[in-house]
Amino acid sequence: MVANDLRQRVRDKSVFIFSLIVPLALMGVLSLVFGGLGGDTVDLKPATVVASADDADQLGAALLGAVDSLEIMDVTIKRVPAADVRSETRASGAALGIIVPEGFSNAVLSGQAAPVQLVEGNGASLETGVLISAVQAVLDQFAAGTVTAAAGGISGLPHQELAALAQQAAAGPRLLTLTEGQAAAEQLSLRGTLVAGQAGLFLMFTVGFGVLGLLAEREQGTLARLRSMPVTGVTVITAKACTGFILGVVATTVLLTAGSQLFGVSFGSPPVVAALILAVVTAATSLTFVVARLVRTAEQANVAQSILAMVLGIAGGAFFPVQGTGFAATLLDLNPIGAFIRGLGISAGGGSLGDVAGPVVVMLAFAAAGLLLSRLLPDRGAQA
Amino acid sequence: MSAMLAIATVELRRFLRDKSNIFFVFIFPLLLILLLGSQFGAGSGQARVAIAGPGSALAQALTAKLQSAGVAVTASGENAARADLSRGRTDVGLFLDDADGAAFDAGRPAELDVVMASQSSAQAVLQQVRTAVQAVGLERSQLAALAGAGIPEYRARPALDQAAAQVAVPTVEIVDTNDMAQEFRGLGKFDLGAAQQLLLFVFLSSLTGAATLIQARRFGVVGRVMSAPVSSGQVVAGQALGRFAIAFLQGGFIMAGTALLFGVDWGNLWLSALVLVLFCAVAAAAAMMVGSVIDNDTAAAGVGVGGGLVLGGLGGCMVPPEFFPEALATISYVTPHRWAYDAFAAIQRRDGTLGDILPQLGVLAGMATALLLLGAWLLRRSLSRAL
Repeated sequence: MVANDLRQRVRDKSVFIFSLIVPLALMGVLSLVFGGLGGDTVDLKPATVVASADDADQLGAALLGAVDSLEIMDVTIKRVPAADVRSETRASGAALGIIVPEGFSNAVLSGQAAPVQLVEGNGASLETGVLISAVQAVLDQFAAGTVTAAAGGISGLPHQELAALAQQAAAGPRLLTLTEGQAAAEQLSLRGTLVAGQAGLFLMFTVGFGVLGLLAEREQGTLARLRSMPVTGVTVITAKACTGFILGVVATTVLLTAGSQLFGVSFGSPPVVAALILAVVTAATSLTFVVARLVRTAEQANVAQSILAMVLGIAGGAFFPVQGTGFAATLLDLNPIGAFIRGLGISAGGGSLGDVAGPVVVMLAFAAAGLLLSRLLPDRGAQA
Repeated sequence: MSAMLAIATVELRRFLRDKSNIFFVFIFPLLLILLLGSQFGAGSGQARVAIAGPGSALAQALTAKLQSAGVAVTASGENAARADLSRGRTDVGLFLDDADGAAFDAGRPAELDVVMASQSSAQAVLQQVRTAVQAVGLERSQLAALAGAGIPEYRARPALDQAAAQVAVPTVEIVDTNDMAQEFRGLGKFDLGAAQQLLLFVFLSSLTGAATLIQARRFGVVGRVMSAPVSSGQVVAGQALGRFAIAFLQGGFIMAGTALLFGVDWGNLWLSALVLVLFCAVAAAAAMMVGSVIDNDTAAAGVGVGGGLVLGGLGGCMVPPEFFPEALATISYVTPHRWAYDAFAAIQRRDGTLGDILPQLGVLAGMATALLLLGAWLLRRSLSRAL
């Protein structure tokens, strides 16, 4: 019966449309449209800064020098007259324009207002944000010196000591330094998430073909014919579930393989990925039992399946990561598609079978809950 | 005319009678707009930092400094912070221990452990953390410098506060924000998502609705209708009008629902409605085409879901087209979604007038006419085939 069903499904173009063509097309389009939102690496791109500052101005030069020598990104400073900073930033696609006002040093040292004007570039917003924060850090340092000198004056220190005091506060040894460590990455890259998410989302449609077959047989009267033969009802239902399961495993494996080849992502150890695929297909198949009990016609099953697929898919992060806190976060964690994407994230980061135990348990628990629910629900289809 | 209207009315009535449509067509888009608004709307994308470790003056100072820079700070245990980092739920984790707190209190140097999550945006947040840590360290350095000059802390602190209030310090002034920030300025939390989901769902529902056209042909309904004194032109026009009415009902519902429930500002209502009418006409015509060229209704549903999502994504219904790479932004103009998106953007964000959106309306009208003629021809051909 399974072989016969599989043959029928393979002949039916809809399996290929839902299981392979549509998800692959969506992966392609989403990967293109999300491309503009940022790359897959955390490294900052080299950036150009268009700046104007008086050459003789000591603090202005120090500010630009600090930006130029940033350790975290490669910065090139292009000096232009102040009037041209805005147009040049726009024309050259620079990340940031900096206009250091005339007489900056004198203003800072004498405690007068000295706003450094910034022009945001149109291109790389991440790099722009980093540069703005870096400029702020340098100005904080200058401000610390000025304020300390003024505080010294208020406290009655002699005038000639104030410059040294400011220097000490602003440029002395740093009291707090940062040591960067590494986080265990349980996250997929942007493209990896798209591939995994679309595979998970359309798996819900694929496994549904098993139960749809059952309802179609019921509608067409072939189910009654089957029952007239020495075949138990359990055998028929198990055969349909097996059909859905096999289609799900094959489609998800093909999608992940094709996706990783086409979009250059790696999901890590094949046995771990295989365990995750088996777990998520089991969870999805259990859901089709619930649907089969709830609906009367194949059309209703189609709609119910689509609703569940879209709700679970979107909440699981098939299109974009969904963040939640408290109860919502727990609810999101119990979503089998979310668990599948998380599991693939762990395996992509080098996780072993033991490391993906959490997501696998979530998916299998979901499967158990689905099966239990399908036993408890009254069979509306049989009543139809 | 009456036959055409009768067919269209029957289509609409059948659509409304099917309760399963209610979720996908009316509830789901609103839920998605709510979700998108809370995830990506105004105020989203806020930097997140987790500070792990025992409470200390250092942790308090860092929290205050980061919060004043607009960063969302959470205090958590080390394991929870590492788990959040690994799953991208926080951008940067700052790990403080008792020794760090004691060193800070005593004015001694301290090395703080910081860990950045693997998403690219975390780099910018890490720089914000560096700036905040440096600022907190500078406050200590100020006290240390004054102490070195013989001023005890109890006198130095008020003197610093007084000085900070008296002297002007150098500041950053952003004089020109980038085009992207200007483009989206003034948009409400749900405004962008509402326009995107309206276009996505109206088109998606129309395409998937093509399956009913196929069923009508397969079950002989169309043949039966044509046995009455009704011309094939009237059947075609009635079907097209029916699909249009369903699309417009859904679009109108989403517009009204988002305006009432989420306060979405659709700008000039007449102009927005005009854009919707033309977009629905394109969607209905596209549904006619799918319903005419495909004979298997399950396959048509696949094409409908796939085509609807792919065209929607390409037309800027998932990621705003302003973020598209240049070549893709040009390609996006093959979709009706992009033209309607641009028209809504002009009305919602720039108080655009009829004159401003005439090019978009013209293209949508052209697309609707071309697809309608083609769809009608294909349907008429398939009707004669079905007969």
